[in-house]
Amino acid sequence: MKISVNVNGRNVDADVEPRKLLVDFIRDDLHLTGTHVGCDTSSCGACTVLLDGVAVKSCTMFAVQANNRNITTIEGLSKGDELHRLQSAFIEEGGLQCGYCTPGMIMTSAWLLSNNAAPTEEEIRNGISGNLCRCTGYDSIIRSIQKASSDRRGGRK
Amino acid sequence: MSEGQLIYSAIGSSSQRVDIREKVDGSLKYFTDMKMDGMLYGVVFRSTVTHARIRSMDVTKAISMPGIRAVLTSRDIKGMNAYGVIVPDAPVLAYDKVRFYGEPLALIAGDTLEQAEAAKDGIKVDYEPLPVIRNIDEALKNDAPLIHNNGNIARSMKVERGDLARGFKDSYLVLDRDYRTHMQKHMFLETEAGLGYLDEKGVINIFVSGQGAHSYKGQITRALEIPPDKLRIVNYPEGGAFGGKDDVTIQILLTLLVMKTKKPVKLVLTREESGAGGYHRHASLIHLKTGVSKDGRFMANKAHILLDTGAYVSFGPSVLDTAMEVINGKYRIPNISVEGTLVYTNNGFSSAFRGFGAPQGNFAIENMVDELAYELKMDPIDFRLLNLLQEGEINSFGNPERDTMGAHVALTEAKGSRLWKISKKGSLPWIKVGLGVSFGVKGVGYGPVKDVSYAAVEVIPSGLVKAFFSNADYGQGINTGHLQIVAQKLGIPFENLRTVNADTAECPDTGSSDASRSTFTGGNALINACDQLIEVMKPEAARMMKVQPTEISYADGKFTFKEGSEVSIFDIASFMAKEGKGTKFIGSFEMPRVAKPIEGMIEAPRFSNAYGVLLSLVEVNELTGLVKAKAFDFYADIGKVINPLLALSQCESGLIQGLGYAITEELTYDVDGKPLNTNYTTYIVPSTTDIPSIDVRFVDAVEKYGPYGAKGVGEIPIVPVASSLTNAVHDAIGMRFRELPLSPPRVSSRMQQNKGISVLA
Ligand code: FES
Ligand code: FES
Repeated sequence: MKISVNVNGRNVDADVEPRKLLVDFIRDDLHLTGTHVGCDTSSCGACTVLLDGVAVKSCTMFAVQANNRNITTIEGLSKGDELHRLQSAFIEEGGLQCGYCTPGMIMTSAWLLSNNAAPTEEEIRNGISGNLCRCTGYDSIIRSIQKASSDRRGGRK
Repeated sequence: MSEGQLIYSAIGSSSQRVDIREKVDGSLKYFTDMKMDGMLYGVVFRSTVTHARIRSMDVTKAISMPGIRAVLTSRDIKGMNAYGVIVPDAPVLAYDKVRFYGEPLALIAGDTLEQAEAAKDGIKVDYEPLPVIRNIDEALKNDAPLIHNNGNIARSMKVERGDLARGFKDSYLVLDRDYRTHMQKHMFLETEAGLGYLDEKGVINIFVSGQGAHSYKGQITRALEIPPDKLRIVNYPEGGAFGGKDDVTIQILLTLLVMKTKKPVKLVLTREESGAGGYHRHASLIHLKTGVSKDGRFMANKAHILLDTGAYVSFGPSVLDTAMEVINGKYRIPNISVEGTLVYTNNGFSSAFRGFGAPQGNFAIENMVDELAYELKMDPIDFRLLNLLQEGEINSFGNPERDTMGAHVALTEAKGSRLWKISKKGSLPWIKVGLGVSFGVKGVGYGPVKDVSYAAVEVIPSGLVKAFFSNADYGQGINTGHLQIVAQKLGIPFENLRTVNADTAECPDTGSSDASRSTFTGGNALINACDQLIEVMKPEAARMMKVQPTEISYADGKFTFKEGSEVSIFDIASFMAKEGKGTKFIGSFEMPRVAKPIEGMIEAPRFSNAYGVLLSLVEVNELTGLVKAKAFDFYADIGKVINPLLALSQCESGLIQGLGYAITEELTYDVDGKPLNTNYTTYIVPSTTDIPSIDVRFVDAVEKYGPYGAKGVGEIPIVPVASSLTNAVHDAIGMRFRELPLSPPRVSSRMQQNKGISVLA
């Protein structure tokens, strides 16, 4: 089936199998491997991308369902060399170990902050509870998101 | 040689991970992300029965299926077709028998993953089923079927000291208890994965998950009969390991696929496969009998530790030694008897998992210690402090204690924890609050086995120093920690340093990333490499400056003549390069060992130990049996802290894996030995809503032999978690749990029983 999607600001026309998962389309066809796969039961969130600005687990939908929509992956979050404030905050607070969950964590957090510029710790915990991290124990991730949100409150881009 | 003035202090600074930018922008290529032109997809055909003799296996149909390039069985293996880091008892591809559900029987390479998967239907195996052994008790029955010809006991060890009978006779209080712990899965987010190819020089290059590139190389060359110079292994970067990628996982399978197809091959385990075919933490059964005097001094400790190693031994013997090592805590116990038994069952495959037997041993002894203190009406920390060995005293395994000072400090500091002051009143009548303590020990390194590590530094004239070592960075941050050590030693800014990690083609053998050893051993080997760099470059510098070597000194990346003229190591490197001299220097370090090893023990006693004291605040819901950890205060002696941020991260990491182990995580098998819960929906790892508030303090301590005083931090945080939680639950509801996990059904059924309400089994 022919689909046309906007990926990270770029229009892409593609011919995909109807049963192809969005995550496989992103990783195998678009070669955007920053979107990871950690499970086959839609439980881990490593595959999270933004679809029209909303965080979705890209393993839970078919590529054809993204037709005519905007997809943002981790690769599209930074503007050239300039990192998104969440990415900078994850660096400053050390919000990762192996980093395999990180792109998904950051995409979910981006959606969280777009809905709630200054979430409480409780809201952060609930907001990213669908994303699993087996390495960090989460505290450093929560600190990173708090850092990004306070940066925003401080008026930084 | 003097290190001179440093421009800044790299040790103790929270340097950012060297690869963090690529991790946050999504550009880092993990093994699951790698691809090559013309690449084939490998899949593993696995047993769908648990214990059986293989009458015959027919793969002819599979070979003729569309897109199939190879179907490989044991007949395609020329070498010994066996692996196992200590004893090679596991077949690479099974041929006469299968011993666990999911054991590899054949490999398929196809043009597409779908074709390779489909070809599994073209393989027929005729099994003669054998009875399944599901636990330690069944394995040890007189009439138990044998999993291996040599019986179901893989190892027996016994260590005795003093006069046990006398110790118990002289005791005021003796408790006799049984403890049971369960199997835990690593559940790293990236499953075992890799890509291999044959290069134009005929070398098989394997980029694959793992913790010990050189160790795999040895195992692969032995199993498949490949000359060592025809094989290269790379283990970086990868999505978590925790011990589950320590022994061989898919390394040999992938090499065999490349060897036979001569094409690039990618192999990624599915989550289910990783669950059934991958490793897990040993279940344990520990009988413990401990006696104390009226004034609270240990008199005797008798332990029998049984571990379920599953179908093969892997790291089992070392894990058993470690459990035996910690079963006396670090307490002054004059009379001991510690017996260990490693038992085969058909429960998959146990191996290394963060803590490596210490969490099991700790669970038993620290529950016991808490119960003894309670019965004696002593403060649980004072009781531990009273019995904790002083440096210089002879410990339970017969060696002078050398590093418990930090443990004394940690326990003493824990007495000042904020958590002692928190009200024990629950928010609702059925919410009970409790506070528990546990004291953990985890040895650093391999114990009595000779362990020499090699690492290298190379000066590149353009202004870089590269560090080469094989301790894989699977997320713990060893790339960064090691560079901080090099930065400190050479006085070179971090920006001018690079690592080459876990690549057998370029890195000397630093050993594996395990046993909390990488910082200690690899760090020291790098320091030694830097010493050699300075020693070799000094006369070259003198030659360049036309002075005597004795007239110059090294500091901050340059040699300085007394009158102020100087030459940098980069200039020296280009000077040396012009004369055809190499500027890569290999250093080594031999891990110190205890003076008196114990005959037969291969992993214990260890020379250096990390310590951790954990206070846990819990809430127990009396209606549901839910145990919720509310706060952890962790006091750790890991020696000098190289990088506070990364060390904190390792502590948070281990504490939360320990929380999962204690409460929600339990790998289970059905009556036929098939694993029941191998994915994230059925096997519950902690999520953000489960975690307590965590406070971590590092005590001021220095390990004399460690690099800049460091020990190791990877494992100690997980060790005391489960026992600290059961002790907290006792404080909350007055019940002792001697079996893990503290799952709601277990906790609520015990509470019902306690109230005299009978519950259905
Ligand atoms: S890969 Fe999509 S949720 Fe795990
Ligand atoms: S950093 Fe490894 S899974 Fe999150």
